Amino acid sequence: MGPVNVERALKTGGRKVPPYIYLLFPAVTFMLLMYAWPFLASVGKSFIGPDGRLGLENYVKTAQLYARDVAFTFSVTVFNTLLTAAAAVILAVYFRMRQNGVSRLLAAVLKLPIFIPFVVVSQMMNSFLAPHGLLNVALAQLGLIDLEKPLQLFNFAGLSFGFVWKQIPFALLIVHGGFQMIDNSYIEAARSAGARLPRVVWRVLIPMNKSSILVALVLVYSSIVGTFTLPYMLIGGKVPTTITVDIAHRVGYFRDFGVANALGVCSYVLVLLTAAYYLRTKLREAR
Amino acid sequence: MKKILLVALLAACMVLTVFAGGAAEAPKTRLIYMTAGDVNMLALGQNVLGPGFQEKYPNVNVTTIHTGPGNAGSQMIFEKLQAEAAAGKKVGDVDVAMVHEIFMKWALEKDLLLSYAKQAETWKYVTSPFAKNALGINIEGYAIPMFHSQTALAYNPDKVKDPPKSYDELKEWVKKNPGKFGYNGIKGGASGVSFVMGWVLASTGKYQKYCITGPFDKAEVATWEPIYKEIKEFNKNVVITGGNVGTLDGLNRGEIWMGPVWVDMFFTNMNEGKLDPKTRMILLEPGMPGQPMHFVIPKNAPNPEMARKFIEYVTSPAVQAKEIVQRFNWYPGIDGSFLKGAIPQETYDKIYKDVTPADLSKKGQSYPLADYYSAMLESYEKWAQ
Repeated sequence: MGPVNVERALKTGGRKVPPYIYLLFPAVTFMLLMYAWPFLASVGKSFIGPDGRLGLENYVKTAQLYARDVAFTFSVTVFNTLLTAAAAVILAVYFRMRQNGVSRLLAAVLKLPIFIPFVVVSQMMNSFLAPHGLLNVALAQLGLIDLEKPLQLFNFAGLSFGFVWKQIPFALLIVHGGFQMIDNSYIEAARSAGARLPRVVWRVLIPMNKSSILVALVLVYSSIVGTFTLPYMLIGGKVPTTITVDIAHRVGYFRDFGVANALGVCSYVLVLLTAAYYLRTKLREAR
Repeated sequence: MKKILLVALLAACMVLTVFAGGAAEAPKTRLIYMTAGDVNMLALGQNVLGPGFQEKYPNVNVTTIHTGPGNAGSQMIFEKLQAEAAAGKKVGDVDVAMVHEIFMKWALEKDLLLSYAKQAETWKYVTSPFAKNALGINIEGYAIPMFHSQTALAYNPDKVKDPPKSYDELKEWVKKNPGKFGYNGIKGGASGVSFVMGWVLASTGKYQKYCITGPFDKAEVATWEPIYKEIKEFNKNVVITGGNVGTLDGLNRGEIWMGPVWVDMFFTNMNEGKLDPKTRMILLEPGMPGQPMHFVIPKNAPNPEMARKFIEYVTSPAVQAKEIVQRFNWYPGIDGSFLKGAIPQETYDKIYKDVTPADLSKKGQSYPLADYYSAMLESYEKWAQ
């Protein structure tokens, strides 16, 4: 045992700062500078009114003009997250239980949308869902609808279709990965105890895979809240529209960063809701 | 052996690069061209104007910098120049800027611009009133328009035999043909914004006050409520399209029969085969807004002479005809009559067929002054939604 530096030991309360802590420095600085600072600045600026004084003016204007849009964004997000999760779980179960050529081919095809950028998806949906777009024309050819009165899909329904189309594959990738980790013996044990498929899924697969489903939910949710291109290109000028379109409008036409930041804070709150839930569950699991 | 060869090769490469670099070291003037506007403005600068000018002046290197669409893009240029002036920077960074009308008001108030236009060789071609007056400000000598863009009502002549000629007739038409008129609201692009502004100007009849003379009078805003309520009613019978292009696509697919569009986008889509060539246009009474974009030279430009040469190049009839009119389908910044020989007659006839030069000068309005402009947009959100 070497000589103990008493003074230093007293200062640090007897504990030593391990040197590898310093290795965190670059990463933490980067995070603080590139993420924490803009985030705090945005929240701070949302409380500075057009006259440069501290106040709630931006929030008053947000409430007056955009309350409906915030509600719309929230409902679009929640609806599509749940729909995506449900579809992803069902598909993942199918790919987990039926491993043959068809399912492998399907799984491969279903991965494609992950690699298609949102702006391309938006343009695609734009011409696919239009009143005289591919979908409506096809349905009219089949005699299911009258092209004079086509399905109007540049709204909640069309937006949801676009989101779900783009997000299911992504969620599926995560959820399916989780299912693959579950050993066959659990499923076989449940089966031999007389459980049918729905029961196996509900009581074995889903509970054992809860954390990856949760991750998928949170990621899909926050990605939908922040998406600009799809709502802008599908329902841009309509009422109601999403928060992201409103932010672009405030900045593009008024250079009004105050209200834009206030709208931003609304979307942070929407995202924080799920983040908080996610963290709590994780912490509980860790205990 | 191999190693020696490799080393020799590397050494040769290094020597060559050093010499090549040395040979090309002739001092090049760097011309900074800063442009507001949509991404097409960046493409224009980077791919067309810059290379074209460099061909003419090989010792110049044009660097295009893009700030962004709409007045916000111009504001960024203004903030840059203002900051340089406030810092007392004698020689700035920007040689030429391409700006919206509102910029002229901001920059002239702060005395940031060089009076260059009358010394320019191409000034003699400029006849547009927009080059003398921008949003009520006298700008003569400080700006030369590069192009003019205009909104107009596009319609499908198969379905609409007798198109409405004024806003009033349009309101009646929409009542009779619900769901056949489309526009993009005010958040999906500026053709919708223009349509709404034109409506308010028509209903109030205060074009002079709102767009030319001012001043901004907050009491005016409250008087607009019934006008926007009328738009709200109107909106019940129309389709809100997904953007400037959305309106054109809707027309092309036959979903709507009529809608406000940018003239340049109308022709671009038509040339690219994305719009039925039968589609026609009409400029509504009493008028719809359009706008030029202007060339300006900052007072502290590092190369004002070269900057002026660049502007002369772009506003020459040849470049105006080939790039501005034929390639980008804008109306020229200089007088159209000087282009007659430079572009094919059929192109000339096409762009001036529905919206004639006389229409443009009579019904081509300016946008409202900045404060009215913002107030009109926000009133829409307050009352028309």
